[in-house]
Amino acid sequence: MTERLNLSNALIKYGDKTLLNDVSLKANSGEMIFITGINGAGKSTLIKAMAGLIALSSGEININGRISYVPQVEEADRDFPAKVIEIVLTGTQRPGKIFYSRHDKQLAIRSMRELKISDLSKRKINTLSGGQLKRVFIARALCGEPDILLLDEPCAGLDSESHDILFTLLRKKISEGCLILMVTHDDSDFEYIPEARVITLSGGRII
Amino acid sequence: MSEILDLLRYSFVQRALIAGSLISICASILGVILVLKHYSLIGHGLSEIGFASLSIAAALKISAIYITAPAVIVAAFIIMFVSERFKTAGDIAIAVASSAALALGVIISSLSGSASNMSSYLFGSVLALSESDLIFAVILAVIIILAFVIFYNRLFLISYNEDYARSLGINITYYQALISILTAFIIVTGMRIMGTLLISGVIILPAVSAKNLASGFQSLVIYSAIISFIAFIAGLTLSFALNIPAGAAVILANTIILILVKVFIK
Repeated sequence: MTERLNLSNALIKYGDKTLLNDVSLKANSGEMIFITGINGAGKSTLIKAMAGLIALSSGEININGRISYVPQVEEADRDFPAKVIEIVLTGTQRPGKIFYSRHDKQLAIRSMRELKISDLSKRKINTLSGGQLKRVFIARALCGEPDILLLDEPCAGLDSESHDILFTLLRKKISEGCLILMVTHDDSDFEYIPEARVITLSGGRII
Repeated sequence: MSEILDLLRYSFVQRALIAGSLISICASILGVILVLKHYSLIGHGLSEIGFASLSIAAALKISAIYITAPAVIVAAFIIMFVSERFKTAGDIAIAVASSAALALGVIISSLSGSASNMSSYLFGSVLALSESDLIFAVILAVIIILAFVIFYNRLFLISYNEDYARSLGINITYYQALISILTAFIIVTGMRIMGTLLISGVIILPAVSAKNLASGFQSLVIYSAIISFIAFIAGLTLSFALNIPAGAAVILANTIILILVKVFIK
């Protein structure tokens, strides 16, 4: 097992508000961690901090491996003229690499097949339903061959079939050594991966 | 029509045709990113900042490029940075900077007695391009097209979702700087051809028309370039035929295309 994540005494402040308060967390490859808590507890803030989207006010975060992130809400123009395959392929981008290889294209095709969205590959993203779009973002994250997968409420908007597909895939990724951290509001998600750790946040602290 | 074709024998017409086409195509390619990132007003703001710096250069009697290019690049970077950091303040920053810059430009050119020369910059003078203007336009076009081809995947990602790009560990500041610098150079070069008041239209209008036709990012870029080229040729032909300013005719052609696309495509 390889240590993939080491978060120590993480504090995030925004003005007078403390969004994350003295959070420490270690996680290894092949682990699954559910992050739960009420609205405003700091779950998305924690995930965004791990994804490098929010800077810590104090504390330390060490990430060992490649990250893929599925946001709760994609902050992008829904009318952006892009096809599904173009969006999925972006998941393979990383610093210092500006062209897509044949392998990247194979990964994109494979992850679309795994999410059962191959038939959507040429569709414009503004013609998709919310659930289909969510599967596109999950496919994008998976085709980056992540060591650490950060999922912020990935099941929101998914039908039961997509839900089952997602958890089958997550189990496969865990067995391949991927560390997965997933924000969820739904306790029944825990049953899909009973060996997973569950972390509950309240007021920005782990309780 | 044959009279217009006869004009092609003149070198100043050939220069106008080549430089104008290249600048129009490159402006429209960059316009795709600016439109998708909701930076449509940046071209307008920068061209007026360019006008102010031209007035200063004229008053100081030094070559315009030494003042205009750095001033517009710095302004582009500041506007994009402010827009990115403080979402709504971006529009305000552009509005304030462009009005103040236009006023400053008019005052300086009026006080320095160079107001009559400045009108060619306000409305453009595509037929007065020199050999060096043409060479500069060709070099700029090569740089912009190469940059677009090399960084195509990155520009797509950053135009779509900067946050996602950041989560992949990509430093988007480099690409923002690239977009700022290329936009600034297109504006500085385009001001001479289309005019300060009209260059932003050449950047934005083809991309807006193309957005109604495109099925993906790649086709958006291609349609935008084709529309811009057609509009430039149509505008230049119209300006010869009706003896009207070329810059205004090109914008008119772009506007007609946009209306046709809106009416007949969607």
